Amino acid sequence: MMKKYNNNNSNQHNTKNKSKRLLFILFCLIIVLISFWSCDDFVEVDLPNSQLTSNGVFEEKSTADAAMINIYSKIREVGLLTGTSSGLSLVLGNYADELDFYGNSQNGAVAFYNNSLLASNPDVNGLWNASYNQIYEANAVIQGVENAVNLPSSSRTQLKGEALFVRALIHFYLVNLFNDIPYITTTNYQENSNVSRQSFNEVLSLIKSDLQEAIQLLPSEYISANRLRPNKFTAHALLARVNLYLGQWLEASNQASIVIDNTSLYVYEQDLDKIFLKESTATIWQLAPGFVGGNTLESNTFNFTIGPPPLSALTTSFMASFTPNDLRKTHWTRAITDGTTTWYHPFKYKFSDTASSVEHSIIFRLPEMHLIRAEARAYLGNLSGAKEDVNIIRNTAGLANTTAISGEQVLAAILIERQLEFFTEFGHRFFDLKRTDNIQSVLSLEKPGWDTHDVLFPIPEIEISLNSNLLPQNPGY
Amino acid sequence: MKKITINNVKRTLMHSFIIGSSLFFSKVMANNALVYPTRQQTQQISGVVSDANGLVSGVSVSIKSKTIGTLSNFNGQYSIMATANDTLVFSHMGYKTVVVPINGQTHINVKLLVDMTTLQEVKINTGYYSVKDSERTGSIAKITSKVIESQPVSNALATMQGRMAGVHITQTTGVPGGGFNVQIRGQNSIRTNGNNPLYVINGVPYASDPIGTGINSTVIPTQPSPLNSINPDQIESIEVLKDADATAIYGSRGANGVVLITTKKGVAGKTRFTSSISQGVGAVTSYLNLLKTPEYLAMRQEAFANDGISPIPYYAYDVNGTWDQDRYTNWQKELFGGTASITDIYAALSGGSAQTQFLLSANYNKQTTVFPGDFSYNKGNVYLNLNHQSKDKKFSTNVSVGYTVQNNNQPRTDFFREAISIPPNAPELYNEDGSLNWENNTFNNPLRNLEGKYLAKTNDMIANVVMSYQIASFLQLSSSFGYTTLSNNETTTIPSTEFNPAWGLDSQYSSLIASNANRKSWIIEPQLNFTKTLGKGVLNALVGATFQSQTSDQLVQYAFGFASNSLIYNLASASNVYTLVSDDSQYKYQAFFGRINFNWQKKYIINLTGRRDGSSRFGPGKQYANFGAIGVAWLFSKEKFLNNNSVLSFGKLRASYGITGNDQIGDYQYLDTYASSGLNYDGVIGLQPTRLFNSQFGWETNKKFELALEAGFLQDRIFLTTAWYNNRSSNQLTGLPLPGTTGFSSIQSNLDAVVQNRGVELTLRTVNIQNEKVNWSSDFNISWSHNKLLAFPELESSTYANRYIIGQPLNIQKGYHFTGVNPQTGIYTFKDVNDDGVISPLNDKTSIQNFNPQYFGGLQNQISYKNWQLDFLFQFVKQKNYNSSVYFGLPGSQFNQPVGVLNHWQQPDDDAPYQLYSDGSNGAVVDAFYKFLESDATISDASFIRLKNVSLSYNIPLKKAQCKLFFKGQNLATFTKYDGVDPEFQSPGYIPPLRILSAGVKFSF
Repeated sequence: MMKKYNNNNSNQHNTKNKSKRLLFILFCLIIVLISFWSCDDFVEVDLPNSQLTSNGVFEEKSTADAAMINIYSKIREVGLLTGTSSGLSLVLGNYADELDFYGNSQNGAVAFYNNSLLASNPDVNGLWNASYNQIYEANAVIQGVENAVNLPSSSRTQLKGEALFVRALIHFYLVNLFNDIPYITTTNYQENSNVSRQSFNEVLSLIKSDLQEAIQLLPSEYISANRLRPNKFTAHALLARVNLYLGQWLEASNQASIVIDNTSLYVYEQDLDKIFLKESTATIWQLAPGFVGGNTLESNTFNFTIGPPPLSALTTSFMASFTPNDLRKTHWTRAITDGTTTWYHPFKYKFSDTASSVEHSIIFRLPEMHLIRAEARAYLGNLSGAKEDVNIIRNTAGLANTTAISGEQVLAAILIERQLEFFTEFGHRFFDLKRTDNIQSVLSLEKPGWDTHDVLFPIPEIEISLNSNLLPQNPGY
Repeated sequence: MKKITINNVKRTLMHSFIIGSSLFFSKVMANNALVYPTRQQTQQISGVVSDANGLVSGVSVSIKSKTIGTLSNFNGQYSIMATANDTLVFSHMGYKTVVVPINGQTHINVKLLVDMTTLQEVKINTGYYSVKDSERTGSIAKITSKVIESQPVSNALATMQGRMAGVHITQTTGVPGGGFNVQIRGQNSIRTNGNNPLYVINGVPYASDPIGTGINSTVIPTQPSPLNSINPDQIESIEVLKDADATAIYGSRGANGVVLITTKKGVAGKTRFTSSISQGVGAVTSYLNLLKTPEYLAMRQEAFANDGISPIPYYAYDVNGTWDQDRYTNWQKELFGGTASITDIYAALSGGSAQTQFLLSANYNKQTTVFPGDFSYNKGNVYLNLNHQSKDKKFSTNVSVGYTVQNNNQPRTDFFREAISIPPNAPELYNEDGSLNWENNTFNNPLRNLEGKYLAKTNDMIANVVMSYQIASFLQLSSSFGYTTLSNNETTTIPSTEFNPAWGLDSQYSSLIASNANRKSWIIEPQLNFTKTLGKGVLNALVGATFQSQTSDQLVQYAFGFASNSLIYNLASASNVYTLVSDDSQYKYQAFFGRINFNWQKKYIINLTGRRDGSSRFGPGKQYANFGAIGVAWLFSKEKFLNNNSVLSFGKLRASYGITGNDQIGDYQYLDTYASSGLNYDGVIGLQPTRLFNSQFGWETNKKFELALEAGFLQDRIFLTTAWYNNRSSNQLTGLPLPGTTGFSSIQSNLDAVVQNRGVELTLRTVNIQNEKVNWSSDFNISWSHNKLLAFPELESSTYANRYIIGQPLNIQKGYHFTGVNPQTGIYTFKDVNDDGVISPLNDKTSIQNFNPQYFGGLQNQISYKNWQLDFLFQFVKQKNYNSSVYFGLPGSQFNQPVGVLNHWQQPDDDAPYQLYSDGSNGAVVDAFYKFLESDATISDASFIRLKNVSLSYNIPLKKAQCKLFFKGQNLATFTKYDGVDPEFQSPGYIPPLRILSAGVKFSF
């Protein structure tokens, strides 16, 4: 065809065309050359400078540390143990009988306050997802340090111990809220996306074995100032609580004693105003604030200065539980009045706006060990030992020794001390009522919306629809 | 082929103006030098050329039997030297030629009539090449500047609504600067954000990925439209490529269709200045009919009585006497009942010589909001287009540069949701001293949202250079070079004054989120075109390559603790500044493409296109894929048996089949990495896993098949196009949803699912009346589409088990089936599908509601009479949508309600649509209410017919200049049975698109 075209044109055209064709061939060659030369390389891109490969992260101490520390930041900001209004301190305070809800009805907290949770509740789903995300990161640390070649072995054991502890801690709260749950120990999403629920006891024994391993790995001393990263005794403290919930009294008592007896680290703080300061020697583990000089998120959630309360206040029935001389009433709650009505808010954390940080959110503190041991001792028949532990708490609060005599009386006294000591701290009250089987009798009187099935949160509906192995749903949802 | 006598110099002008039009010049005439007649006395003849819609530029004005000619300019004016006995010939693509003897006149105005048959000769831009409308093998819809300019909107996508078959567009907010949902021929991808078409502005692909953090723009429900950055006044035409034949050359990015935007170009001749100024007002189209104070308070009292709560508790400030029991405020009017002002100013300068033409334009657009407070969206834009052609016409170049500045200042939150829920007796907004009234902490004052502000500044530039060189008569080399740069600066302030004073917070608690994002991309697309006549046929071929690189970076900072709220924009004044995001990413893309087209006697046409694409968004070994299509057309009206048929003037059958792809998945998804979380712990910023990773995912493919018939009757005065298509997308690339137990919500992977989109599109264009005074034409389009999940292996065991159903559309909602109020208990009931006595989501959510429109379309009319011109568009959609019940809280709680709830259950045997009132402590009522929200009762028919657009204009007849007065209206009237604010609108809880009335003047001289 080309030939025919040229033949039809004059010679002059022919020469012109020749040079043009030459040009054309040149262009084509350039294009082809560019194409082939760049073909494979062009669409290769480098790792963006804001990201590190997962393997790389765990080859260096500082980046491996940053991966672990991020879990604590997340625990502080979202999920079960955050001091914001989405954490258990407020949520379970509303859900049980500690707090009255005052916010507007568009606030998600209203469903908790009314005990009208549905399986589709977005806040429950949020707690679930945030928890398993924290567990994923813990598993990623465990896996990462196990495969790391260049990471110093001290870091390796330290980080693995911390991650095991965190994994146990989050699962512990989940299992108490939802009952049977899957215990996640891998980062493999295919395995994790069709897991089944494991029984309460199975989960607790997994928690125990993780904690026991953590105790082996974690150092006795704190590796940071202000007890911001868990040590061996933090794991003991959680293990004491796990045993308490399981009714394994001897073990609970022993684990609590391990912490209490370490008097070089833990000294009981007698001054109520100092217990929640960041230097408190009664603190076992606390969370660093999100910024230098910051205080706790709890103070923002609970404290207010003018009534009526913008979000929540302590219930009248709770306030009535204080005996008149209880210093905790005056030191740990604050009355706000508008002249006619008086409201009380939790005031354990007093500071929000200070030049340098004064308070941190405390997750584990020494008084709990005493009350755990007291309860365990009472069940073990050691009533005097039990009362000894209770009285430490009572005396600090400015109260005389307990007058309880019988085992039942001692146990009742312990429960009251737990209520008054740990109010609005991560749902102690709710869990205590639940594990002592008092929940129905107490809350059905206090809460008009209470139903027997409210003792468990619903498994999020979307979780079940994505993974039917999570069936059956908790009863009543 | 038309032969027009015209001088050589002006030839290029004409070519450049009539974009893509196909005037062909006789070789002999074209090569002649300029000839001035000398025998007779010549004089200047001038006048104006217009058509039914207004002035027409680029009309060839020539003298019969002579080689003299000129073109009408930008304003339809012409002048030519001729003798008194000459005859003028006015011709223009798409119009019937008009012949006027001069007979001594010096001023001759001419009115052109549209020649419907030549519309088929207009060239259509298909991106890498252009093709005559009559000879195209693909499916392409087009609107031009005339339609675009008739609408008082600031986003080009809004101008397409209702005017294109198969193109379904919904605006996602009435807040200016917001976004649009665009679906071309249905939802192809399971990923909800994987259905955007490819936008190409003057040959430069324009990224539609969101920019900014999303933390900031809470007032806008979806990401702002990428086309906010182009001014509709500047657009010459928008073409939408739909089928495989048209889109396969865009390969991996063509699956969801391609939107090509071509901007205006300069016209040779005298330098002209054109300007238009318009001022409009906007308001919401309707209010919901809500309870007034007495009805509301009665509801609340009844709710507490039902719940057995007495006295009314402390926290029920609305009804326990804390608030005035007689106050009434229409909160809808108060919070979104304002009038938005819309100002638009446009100015353009154009002109040039035969070889070089220019167009310089500037535009300013300002829209305020219907919210209280002083908020506005400002957009300024400058645009330059330059054309040059060498004297020997071998080398030509076109340069276009557009620069847009957007400045959006909005409240942080849309007031809609609060406005409809605040009790009608809620207190005053302001105290006497002008401060916000919190009514002693009992009132969550909605105007607190005015304290925090959202500011977005976006600057972007789109530049493009096309150079082409005619190597030989059959061979042309061209290359386009494009560059885009975008910078976005967003801030959100949360001052302490936004919080209830009860918290006792001062400016130490004020915070600022500042985001800075930049995106730059360049693209080079060399291309070689080959054209050769082979016997009675013409062979067209092209080969080309694309190299594109895009880099983006983003910095998001969070600052709080300010010494004073007046320093809130100053990062240096914050006691704490944290970097939440500091990120960059790179996207690289490379392709080789080609086309072979063979056209036999303009009767039989075959078109082959192909593309090999590589993208950095896929992992090693998965980066490349091949795409391609075949299209055929048969112009049966050119067959002998139909030649010169008096009824059928045009007939074409066409079909196409091909494969396109989709790589809209974001960058680096295949990498297993950690990135900074921005969270500080004891002075260390944490690192977190970026995602669950899968390095194995690859391209999604979309196979498209189309069959179409185009037929013109009575000289094309009636022109009908019907198309049937069947598209199947497979190897679906999706963020596979995962249960939370995996630690994440999804993972990127390929699914073996097949989604089918099948539909029929029909467009009908008629010229109803056409004479010198009156012109009336109509365009009607309607599209039926059906989306269906064809296959999904192991759906039952996948995480999609409860979301999709094989045989059903993707856009379905499974819900409970609402069975009314139990007359004895007064509580909502639902169908217990598996009869287990419990209404549970897994077993009983079986009512399937389809949200895809069944059909949609529009009817557009253009009527002109003398100097008057009236255009109007009716848009219609048959569909289902959420009704207003999804906006409201539990009836009886502290939420206002629609008046419908008055008809509620009160005593046994009541037959009422609403259940009994409760403040929220009756668990059964609350539970039933939430199930109600997840039932089919919230979904109802939302079909509508809407008078979408009216434009009325009047041309003031002037000699030297032109002046047009116009009135435009948008969303003027809606006919629907729908119960809700706007049946078209799909973002419940936000302000729907406004009704806009605008008037203005356009002049040029």
